[in-house]
Amino acid sequence: MDEKFDCIIVGAGVAGLGAAMTLARNNMKFLLIEKGEFPGAKNVSGGVLWGNDLAKLVPNYWEEDAGWDRFINHRRLTFMDEQSTFSVDFKSSHFNEPPYTGVVVLRSKFDRWLADKVQEAIDASDYAMDSFIAPNILVEEILLEDDKAVGIKAGGDEFYSDSVILAEGVNNLLTRQVGLQDKYVPADHMLTGVKEIIRYDQKVLEDRFQLNGKSGMSNEFVGYATNGVEGGGFLYTNKDTISIGLVLGLKDLREKEQKPHDILNEFKKHPVIADTIRGGEVVEYSAHIVSSGDKRVMPKQLYKAGLVVCGEAANLLLNAGKAIQGMDYAMRSGILAAETITEAKKAGDFGESAMKKYQDTLENSYIMKDINNFQDAVHLLHDPVMTQKMPNLICDFGRNFFSIKNEPTPKSREMLKGAIKRHASYWELIKLGAKGAKAL
Amino acid sequence: MKLLSLPERLGLISYRNQAKSDIKPHILVDTDICNSTCPHKCTTYVCPANCYTKDENGKVHFQVEDCIECGTCMYACDQGAVSWEFPDPEIGRGVTWNYG
Repeated sequence: MDEKFDCIIVGAGVAGLGAAMTLARNNMKFLLIEKGEFPGAKNVSGGVLWGNDLAKLVPNYWEEDAGWDRFINHRRLTFMDEQSTFSVDFKSSHFNEPPYTGVVVLRSKFDRWLADKVQEAIDASDYAMDSFIAPNILVEEILLEDDKAVGIKAGGDEFYSDSVILAEGVNNLLTRQVGLQDKYVPADHMLTGVKEIIRYDQKVLEDRFQLNGKSGMSNEFVGYATNGVEGGGFLYTNKDTISIGLVLGLKDLREKEQKPHDILNEFKKHPVIADTIRGGEVVEYSAHIVSSGDKRVMPKQLYKAGLVVCGEAANLLLNAGKAIQGMDYAMRSGILAAETITEAKKAGDFGESAMKKYQDTLENSYIMKDINNFQDAVHLLHDPVMTQKMPNLICDFGRNFFSIKNEPTPKSREMLKGAIKRHASYWELIKLGAKGAKAL
Repeated sequence: MKLLSLPERLGLISYRNQAKSDIKPHILVDTDICNSTCPHKCTTYVCPANCYTKDENGKVHFQVEDCIECGTCMYACDQGAVSWEFPDPEIGRGVTWNYG
């Protein structure tokens, strides 16, 4: 191909598709390259897409039955010990009206659907015949001239462009190649996610989880779920399946010599979980690395001349205890990247200072504001007192509090004292409380 | 519900180019490092697809056929034994997720 593109996007995940949609609407000529058989073919997530940016990309998406699985109006955070669960549960009709604030997605379906929407936007643009979504192509190298990105090499062919958006996901080999990330990234702040998709008769699923129409539930787990390894568990309701899995700190997994797939089976065997998931049929097992949201390992600079990095390739992810946010960050950062590229095209300048505007807008967006503000929460959630002792303590208290015996009942305060004594110390709790108050 | 073994789980996965017997491996492992200086041989337990195994003599072996491209080994190996690339769409292995 002799023609030069305004932009080449590497990766048709949520970030790449968000960027592509924005470029198409801004009448830009671009190439979106995806290594999978189709957009979404290689993508795995928990996963809830939080926030309502999706409505910006696909207005009234809720009127369609395709793409997304369920909207979330029911949240649950569960503390777990070996026998018990103690949950904070919130459900509200407040979340029932679109635009929804969270939708559950299965990426193989969602990304493919979103790519179809991008194709529609391409068809409506001035470059209907010149912009492309190209699956099944692996980008081997970013072409650099005088340290400026000028295109890509794939399958032995070279494709040229004024700019490149790297949306290649967490295993960001090209981000490393261009020097924005170290060649070797250690396990310290990475987690391995493992997940099963379990299928049910749709009516059984809806009755079991109290779902109505397209409503859905998200449930996160702390404690016994991860068998002593730092991390947590999740369960999300899809249309006629559930996504159930764990994210496990990789360094801790290595030190404790544990197998992620074994821990997942232990989690499924837990008496409360076993009751919840009984009768289903496992239809897929998957795994993927996910970043932790710890700023210490994020690439410091997300741009260079002719190039910007977005989504998980930039390690944009946060779990501050309220929700695991990654896909919404991917979408927004993809949109911001495309806006920077559009402005650069207008100004005819794709140099380093023009690309820096992307990082500036990202810093001023809710993404970096939240990542910066909630670093203490990220550290707190990886504290063993929080991930192991607290869930045990809470479940111990729950067991006593909810045990009705035909004998005098101690005051709750006494029960709590006993539970603290058995699982932690006051000093640990004071430290944790102080950290928590500061972090959240 | 019945718990699945890892081979049963991997049996649910759609791998690419399964009809091809001669695929190009996307991960190369220098098992000499695993079997000489590595203190933990961690890939033999952290890999979610069990692509790394230990034989009866404790020696590490690697096969790429079951790899699901998760990336775990690339970070877990701190000994420089793992060279990790994405699989070639035409002549490599790797996955196509049905749900994802």
